[in-house]
Amino acid sequence: MTNTQVSAVRPRAASAPGTVAERPSARERGTRLLAALFLAPTVVGIVVFTVVPIIGSVVLSLFHWNVIDSPGFAGTANYREVFTDSTVLVSFRNTLVFMVFAVAAQLLIALALALTLNGRMPTWLRSVFRSAFFFPLVLSAASISVVMKYLFNQDFGVINWLIGWFGIAPVPWLTSEHGALATVIIVYVWQQFGFSFLLFVGGLNNIPKEIHEAAALDGATGLRKHLSITLPLLSPTLLVASVVGIINALQVFEQPYVLTDGGPGDSTRTVVMVIYERAFEQLRFGEASAVGVLLFVLIMAVTAVQFRLSRRFVHYQ
Amino acid sequence: MSRVSPLSQATLSLSRARYSLGPWARIAGLAVCALLTLGPVIWTVSTSLRTPADSFNLPPQIIPTHPSTAAYHGVFDQIDVWLLALNSTLVTALIAVGQMITAGLAGYAFARLDFRFKKPLFGLVLATMMVPLQVTIVPVFLVLKSMGLTDTLLGLIIPAFPTAFGTFLMRQYFLGMPKDLGEAAMLDGAGPWRIFRSVYAPLATPGLAIVGVLAFNYHWNEFFRPLILETSGQNYTLPLGLVSLQGNLGTGSISVVLAGVVLSMLPAVAVFLVGQRPLREGITSAGVNR
Amino acid sequence: MTDSHLSRRALLRYGSYGAGAAALAGTAASWDRLTGNDIPGRNDGSLVVATLGSAFSPDGIRALVEGFRKLHPDIRVRINAVQAVDWSDFFAKILTQIAAGTAPDLVYVATEGVQLFARHLGVPLDRWAKRDAAELKEYFADVHPSLVESMMYEGSLYQLPIEFNAADMYLNTQVLKRAGADFPAADWTRDDFTALLRRMKKAGDSHFTPYFWTNRLWGGVVPWLFANGTNLLAESKAPGGAWLWDSFYPAAQRQGRGGGFRWTTPQATADRVAEAYDYLASLIQEDLCTRPEGGNGQNLIGVFSTGRVGVTPAGGFWAGGLHLAGLRDDGFDVQYFPRWRTRRHQFGAAGYALLRTSKKQDAAWEFIKYSARRDTLTRLFTTNQTTPARRSMLTGARYQETGPAHWRVFYDTLDTFPDTGPIPAPPQVAEVTQVLLKHTGTALASPRSVGPALRRMQGDLEKAMERDV
Repeated sequence: MTNTQVSAVRPRAASAPGTVAERPSARERGTRLLAALFLAPTVVGIVVFTVVPIIGSVVLSLFHWNVIDSPGFAGTANYREVFTDSTVLVSFRNTLVFMVFAVAAQLLIALALALTLNGRMPTWLRSVFRSAFFFPLVLSAASISVVMKYLFNQDFGVINWLIGWFGIAPVPWLTSEHGALATVIIVYVWQQFGFSFLLFVGGLNNIPKEIHEAAALDGATGLRKHLSITLPLLSPTLLVASVVGIINALQVFEQPYVLTDGGPGDSTRTVVMVIYERAFEQLRFGEASAVGVLLFVLIMAVTAVQFRLSRRFVHYQ
Repeated sequence: MSRVSPLSQATLSLSRARYSLGPWARIAGLAVCALLTLGPVIWTVSTSLRTPADSFNLPPQIIPTHPSTAAYHGVFDQIDVWLLALNSTLVTALIAVGQMITAGLAGYAFARLDFRFKKPLFGLVLATMMVPLQVTIVPVFLVLKSMGLTDTLLGLIIPAFPTAFGTFLMRQYFLGMPKDLGEAAMLDGAGPWRIFRSVYAPLATPGLAIVGVLAFNYHWNEFFRPLILETSGQNYTLPLGLVSLQGNLGTGSISVVLAGVVLSMLPAVAVFLVGQRPLREGITSAGVNR
Repeated sequence: MTDSHLSRRALLRYGSYGAGAAALAGTAASWDRLTGNDIPGRNDGSLVVATLGSAFSPDGIRALVEGFRKLHPDIRVRINAVQAVDWSDFFAKILTQIAAGTAPDLVYVATEGVQLFARHLGVPLDRWAKRDAAELKEYFADVHPSLVESMMYEGSLYQLPIEFNAADMYLNTQVLKRAGADFPAADWTRDDFTALLRRMKKAGDSHFTPYFWTNRLWGGVVPWLFANGTNLLAESKAPGGAWLWDSFYPAAQRQGRGGGFRWTTPQATADRVAEAYDYLASLIQEDLCTRPEGGNGQNLIGVFSTGRVGVTPAGGFWAGGLHLAGLRDDGFDVQYFPRWRTRRHQFGAAGYALLRTSKKQDAAWEFIKYSARRDTLTRLFTTNQTTPARRSMLTGARYQETGPAHWRVFYDTLDTFPDTGPIPAPPQVAEVTQVLLKHTGTALASPRSVGPALRRMQGDLEKAMERDV
């Protein structure tokens, strides 16, 4: 990957050697001016609507503020408060558990489906399947959670009726502590796996046909071959899928908000839910900002660890 | 990814072995998975066409025995669908156009222009993906207030112009174009602007379409920002309006709620059908060329 | 080939110019929409009234504005129907508006937020109420003092209640018939209630659960706490308020009234509270009752109207809801909440609160008075989506189409049991509610978890109540 990119981004490299000093510098100035103009909308937008607000959050996390009265300086009180608040701590645990299972399930399902789809079948059928797996991605998470709440109802839902056919007793999907988190994960994965799925389909398409067919011909039993050949070739795609998956999973909000409202107890309360509740329901904006800053740090740390690990496990050819 | 011939030679000779229960089992398995994926959507559509009294029947009737569009009339009676749809369309369309412009320009700069602080700037752009909306919404709100944009559709649109993922995609897209095109133009004496304008920009349309479709898909369904930023009923977008169908203390009819869900889904599905390819390619390319 | 290539490029270019021009024109044409300048009354000094979006229909809101305009042509008014999933969500949006400097003048506030608003944002209505006492006599004579008292805070009146909902028991008559059970008597007890559920269960199939309830502040555990003669927070009354009682209510009715409720010391671990939870847990163990779901009770109307549930607590608001869901007027009926140690019921009420920041307080008071008039309420509450606060509006004609047959129960809940009171909603309501819902969920999620959950609830409530919001 890297070699082509480095030379590609330096158009001047081609003409630089041997030319007169003024021309490249004029060109360089032109390039810089153009770059500045091109980057301005994005960078100004990011500074105004992300960087400044982040700084604002950090500042806000040092104050007590309830919107109604003017803010009062709190020092580190908000941080001390949230570090001793069991709801906040549990929400971080829930979010991490959610992230691990949701991302793992999402990647595994997506990978399995992408590999299976890669086998021999009529083209139209393949595109039907591809569209089907991809479809939930275009729906709104909030709406679909409303629907899922009906389907997963313990006493009246379609799902317990379906599994009743196999003689399984009704499962308290949304009303028991472990069940609820599992259900939120299921609903989330149902909607999100299509994203990783498409990444893998693309990644597989880019693996030279011969390898591909050889691996596919072996079908399901060729799992070892997939592990030793396809996976290493897919590892860059896997990295992107897991980075995006983890960043999204750490910010999960709509599904638990609609499905369980964080309950029963705190069992499905996620960090972002806590931020929302503290700020917009309890009007403790300082504490909400403190939790937000911690979440931001966590996301950065997890992403950094991932890139560090990726140096060992991701194979670019 | 480019060529990996030695490996492929090896694997080619390795297999050819079992091709036994392959295709049929595979297709059956995929069909079951596809059904599981689409099941909830099918249930939603069919329930919205049933009368409330039939809505909780078990087994669920996928083909309603007494199909009724009453729920859809209910949606139009209870909320101003047209105004909500107009707002959603304006917001989504302008964000899509804005993102195509910002991402196209910035993506090109990151891919094809040379300047100082390129790496940290690109890192900054990507890092914004890691910032949860909920963390910054209060300060964003205050910024909008200072601009006099609270409770306006513009307040929803303008902050959404910069797009990390879109910029990333467009960078990939421009990197994927043959670089000798630009070099040839440069040897002809074209300046950086000319090279962009007449060599690369015309080739970028498909890439921009990806950004546009992704923006539409995301912002059409967006719930949290409008929930906080729009306070007047006249400024609501569709997802917000649908909330009121649930009624005070949950007294809304489930059929009407689901009819609302189906209605709001339609444009997204239309864009999905039309823009499926760019969307798929967009997501795909994010993981592939680097 | 070069030609066709060029012309296609040219075509593309002109096409994109065209699209760009169209986009610009479209943006220009919709500029007022984008900036919100087309919203009538936005910047013209209108009196702004914020209501909960789902509470009134668009027609009702139109009627409300037109009626007011006829009465006060000099006051321009704008209704801002704020969309929110529940009251706490609604209050959050109002506070955001206040933070943005676009505060409304009047806010529709339910019991959940009465004290929160009164304490931080509201203006007492006392001086206007005293000034216009003659005009208001008729209103107070028509409205039960319990409702009025629930709108008082520390001796002052903050809102005129216009609607309320008490938690009574709704019964599905089909399910009753299937179980061969009679409609319960008005003085039924908790044990009668349990026996009825058992009987219903026996007659029902595996997809039937006799009792359904939603885990929320209004109508969740609280009605059982009230029936068992206890409350989540120790309840007392603020002094004061005599100015109101003495001038508007006869001696018999003002007995024991004060200056509004005070909810202070948490008592989640009190014996009677534990008893109520144990009772609900035992119903769940026996499969007589669903485990409470979080969030709003969206599943409820469907499962009740189709006979998958036999009994559920709800107020007058449900008559309209069930009718809309297609249930016939004789398909359901309503009875008081069963007696336990007491017959005390719980309710929530709502009316308009006037904000301190308002610069049009006199005009706002005119709107408050207008909103509580009988003809206004008649125009607003056409579909029985709530219980009007005015006794005289509850008539056989009103409930003829929707049912229930025992519609008198709605207002008699107040008249027959004068100690019936509002759900506990101190200024710290947001946190109290969250703590209650959270630990109720845990207490009933698995057997034998009531005790530990209530102890944690007590701890969290103590912490919440220490906070000055």
